[in-house]
Amino acid sequence: MVPINNYLFLAALLFCVGMFGVMVRRNALVVFMCVELMLNAANLTFLAFARQRGDSVGHVSAFFVIAVAAAEAAIGLAIMIAVFRSRGTLNIEEIKTMKH
Amino acid sequence: MNGELLLFWVFGLATLIGALFVVAARSPMSSAMSLVATFFFLAGIYVLLWAHAIAVLQVLVYAGAIMVLFLFVIMLLSLAEAEVSAPVLRFSWLVGGASTLGLLAVLGLAISRLPAQPAALGPAQQASFGSLGTLGQIVYTTYLLPFEAVSLLLLVAILGAVVVAKARI
Amino acid sequence: MLLSECLQHASLIDCLRQSPVDSESIAQMLWAIIALPLAGAFVSGVFGRMLGRANTNLIACAAVAGSFVLSLLAFWAVNDPRTALLSSFSQDPVRYAVAHDFGTWFAAGTFRVHFGLMVDHLSGVMILVVTGVGFLIHVYSTSYMGHDEGYGRYFAYLNLFIAMMLTLVLADSLPLLFVGWEGVGLCSYLLIGFWYEDAAKAWAGRKAFVVNRIGDFGFLIGMFLLALWVAAFQAQTNNAGGQGRALEQWRIGISQQGPLTFRGLEEAVRRIPPAAAQLRDAVSLDTSVVSGPLKGTTFGQVLLAVLLLFMLGAAGKSAQLPLYVWLPDAMAGPTPVSALIHAATMVTAGVYLFSRVGFLLVLEPTAMAVVALIGAATALYSAVIAFGQDDIKKVLAYSTISQLGFMFMGVGLAVFWAAILHLVTHAFFKACLFLGAGSVMHGNAEETNIKRLGGLRRQMPWTWATFAIATLAITGIVPLSGFFSKDAILHGVHGTDLQGYPWVSNTAWLIGLCAAFCTAFYMVRLYVLVFEGDRSPEARTAKAHESDWPMRLPMVVLAALSVLGVVYGIPLIAPASGGPAQTVMENYLSTVSAVPQQLARIHHTLRQGHESSLLVAWAQAWAIALAGGGLAGFLYLRYFPSRPKLQVPAFARALERWVRHGFYVDQLYYFAIVKPTEFLSYVLYKVVDSFIIDTLIVRGVAWITARSGAALRYLQTGNAQSYAAVMALALLCAAGYAVIQVLK
Repeated sequence: MVPINNYLFLAALLFCVGMFGVMVRRNALVVFMCVELMLNAANLTFLAFARQRGDSVGHVSAFFVIAVAAAEAAIGLAIMIAVFRSRGTLNIEEIKTMKH
Repeated sequence: MNGELLLFWVFGLATLIGALFVVAARSPMSSAMSLVATFFFLAGIYVLLWAHAIAVLQVLVYAGAIMVLFLFVIMLLSLAEAEVSAPVLRFSWLVGGASTLGLLAVLGLAISRLPAQPAALGPAQQASFGSLGTLGQIVYTTYLLPFEAVSLLLLVAILGAVVVAKARI
Repeated sequence: MLLSECLQHASLIDCLRQSPVDSESIAQMLWAIIALPLAGAFVSGVFGRMLGRANTNLIACAAVAGSFVLSLLAFWAVNDPRTALLSSFSQDPVRYAVAHDFGTWFAAGTFRVHFGLMVDHLSGVMILVVTGVGFLIHVYSTSYMGHDEGYGRYFAYLNLFIAMMLTLVLADSLPLLFVGWEGVGLCSYLLIGFWYEDAAKAWAGRKAFVVNRIGDFGFLIGMFLLALWVAAFQAQTNNAGGQGRALEQWRIGISQQGPLTFRGLEEAVRRIPPAAAQLRDAVSLDTSVVSGPLKGTTFGQVLLAVLLLFMLGAAGKSAQLPLYVWLPDAMAGPTPVSALIHAATMVTAGVYLFSRVGFLLVLEPTAMAVVALIGAATALYSAVIAFGQDDIKKVLAYSTISQLGFMFMGVGLAVFWAAILHLVTHAFFKACLFLGAGSVMHGNAEETNIKRLGGLRRQMPWTWATFAIATLAITGIVPLSGFFSKDAILHGVHGTDLQGYPWVSNTAWLIGLCAAFCTAFYMVRLYVLVFEGDRSPEARTAKAHESDWPMRLPMVVLAALSVLGVVYGIPLIAPASGGPAQTVMENYLSTVSAVPQQLARIHHTLRQGHESSLLVAWAQAWAIALAGGGLAGFLYLRYFPSRPKLQVPAFARALERWVRHGFYVDQLYYFAIVKPTEFLSYVLYKVVDSFIIDTLIVRGVAWITARSGAALRYLQTGNAQSYAAVMALALLCAAGYAVIQVLK
């Protein structure tokens, strides 16, 4: 029997790694991939709790997370294509028109 | 050490290493491939959690569709080469790193207080727990509205992606 | 118009007493008395240069003349025995008074003030004096200021002064009186500093205004206290004295016209039973106020404070101790201004005020003692200073202060009619003296030092004659009016006893006699040194020239009035209630002073009886005047001229220096009051205003804002990842908080 806590620890680790990646990497695509990593960590948490409680509601949540992540990926990548087309770079540090 | 625990450790470590590669890899292509690997190993973890349907969906949708989309975009924009800019230390990275570690600690603290045993399931439920049938049962009855909403969301996403990415409308 | 009809069934005197215009029309027209000089002031000031000198003179004089005519009509109406005024404060109509309420000035809650003008016997006398003497001085000014370029400004200020003085006198409530009070102070400042290009003259004007202000502050606080007093009285008084209906009527009047009208105050005071009556539950002067800001003090104590504060105000306006220091310096202004403002009208405002509120004054023997003693002390003090003055105008200035002291002495001991009589006669002869001084200056190239004048008797005959008559009047030589008025005050003071202060009347009387002696001395000294003897070798011009008719005529008229004014002072009328014969003025003003006398009798605050006979008092006064005048004449006509090389002992010279500088009071005030105030204002300017407020607070706030803005700017990097870092930090805090809450 694997204690559920192990899965939760793993999910927490994945989440933190993903968060760190979002803050540190300069390529926008890699940032996006780290966001996907965080979403997967959330999925893992849902499924772990579903197993612990013994009902399938967590599975439904994970299902919807996957669907929404798909939609988000589509639009996000389209935006990145548009940004690349207008600025010629995907380096986050060079895309800061909101600077004071 | 039984089989389940061993599998957990194998898959878990592999997932973690894949995640670390995603964050640390030089080129976006390497990050993408690492992410695919991570997703596969995650699917394995899901199976260990008796979430078979979700595991399959993970492989089909996440690894099979979303990551393919990523790879298309990477190759379309010719970003496969490694980044050449020099590494730099920024103050926000320190803040981010510190809060990450802090969050990890807090989450760890919270998780360690949780009950560890999975629920005891009866034999009938053992057979159907995590199966596609059970999933479908719940989604099409209790959660029908969110299901339909998500389908609408997907439609909007498709249209949006087309509109945003077009060079000229 | 109806004279012929009237003569058919009444005597000539009674027909002449009936005024041609009925009192209602007069009442509604009272505002014109003030408005005419006001309009004259506006036209002279704004259009003077455009209209030219002759037209401006005409307009200014005509405005005051018109005011005089209207005042005459009002006076006539007030003398009419048929005149009766319906007052909102009492059921019975008030006789010999004309008044009109011109509407609300302002109202706040239950406190209200109306524009109300009133003429009764007292203010009737005053408005005639103000407009009459004012008109004469306007005529004089047309010649005296004939070469001055600022004639438009001059006549504007002079007309404005007349308007403000009339407001003061005609007001039927304290706030409106205060408007006139302030207005005359303003005009005094403007006119003293008329030649403002000379810094010393401008400073004299400023000094007058500032010293006046101190007095005005006292007046204002006194007025506020009086309003609170009336409110407390209104709240607390009840029918325990058996005056229910009168009290009800009074309350109605208060609600309609506000608490500070003279009529209302008079009626309020009449509802106070004497403390000796010991009526249970009645509100008397010893009752404590139970609620409001005056809680804890008795009605009598508050009234005493009010009267003392009014005395402070009167001391400022009428140049009594300790606020007299502005009047000698005020001689920097043109001489007609000194004649009008600082002899005849403005400085008498304090005396008028106390005569108006005489019914309040007689309730407090302490206040009466203070007023009388200040008056007496001022009279003697300034008379002594006048001994050492060599400037002709300064002698007259100190003489004015001294005579005002006499008037306050009379007012303080409730001989109101004598004080007002002396006010009137003093207006005549002092104005005549000042105009004469102006004429002397005009004819001697503006020489004011009397040691350098002399022998003008033959060279300026008209000036000499009028000056001589006025000097005789002021020293109190019978049969001129000054004798009767001054003696009336002294006699009245001697015969009055204050309850609780029996020594005050005798002390004041003795000081008054000394001051009368001194008055005779310095005035005769002035006359002799200026007009008698040979022309001084230090004179500026070889021959003095007499002034032209606009300057001579007013002097002649005023000298004649100084003589004729005697009529008011002779005891001619036997009063209906028996007792000694009354003078004409006493009988005339009895309509106004009846209430104070009645109150004094009821509350036993003073006892008016005559210890010595009138003839003895007259003989005493005459002897003193002759002694003083004779001594001065002897010294300055014979003694000093025959000893040109007289060695003056050192202490005498020192004494003379002390007296000439007014006992160095100006310097005392400067070091004791002015310098500390300047130092305080310097400290407040440098430390509080410049440093603390400007630099620390205002600029400091701006600096802090700018620096925090600059610091916060660094957060807006535009870098999405730093925003994400902040979000991560927030997430950490939230998660930590949630976990802690759950784990508790």
